[in-house]
Amino acid sequence: MNFYEHTIIAKQDLSTPELSNIEKKYKDIITKTDGKVIKVEKWGLISFAKKIRSYNKGFYIHYKFEAENKTLEEIKRNSVIDNSLLRHLTVKYKKLDTETEYFKETNEKKK
Amino acid sequence: MKRKNNKFNKRPQNPLNKLSLFQKSDSRFSKKCPLSGKDAPVIDYKNIKLLKRYVSDTNKIMPSRITSVSQNKQRKLTSEIKKAKILGLV
Repeated sequence: MNFYEHTIIAKQDLSTPELSNIEKKYKDIITKTDGKVIKVEKWGLISFAKKIRSYNKGFYIHYKFEAENKTLEEIKRNSVIDNSLLRHLTVKYKKLDTETEYFKETNEKKK
Repeated sequence: MKRKNNKFNKRPQNPLNKLSLFQKSDSRFSKKCPLSGKDAPVIDYKNIKLLKRYVSDTNKIMPSRITSVSQNKQRKLTSEIKKAKILGLV
């Protein structure tokens, strides 16, 4: 079992129930394939540095979890197919720090 | 690396001691690496504030000879900046 971080960027023009559906979907994928979700962070709407597929902004969702190789394959396969996602990135870690949140301040200001 | 270290060890010269005006002063190279040391900031693709300091206006990664980052940390910086670029953060 290894530690991983996974971030997805969803399209800007999605409604809030659709966003929560997406968040749930990837949580279920991790738990169904014997993984363990440690933390889920919602970074909110963030504007890109550069246009991505003619979109200027996107919703960021960030997962921290512990899993094996087969869950990673499932997650990658699903996020490539998914039409409501723009990009995704998984990073492997030896140690996870769950305390520091770099995007917390920006979320609070917008609310 | 070794050549640079020799320059660190040299004593700072008096600017009037120069042979000619175009001779480079050694004091330029005496800067320490800002990312190593005891309470150095964490290099991570989520830490955008730090990464933006080491990127030029046209989104290119700055060379270590300008920023005086050490070899080891520069290698980490480039990999983290590239990750942030995939996510559209930098």
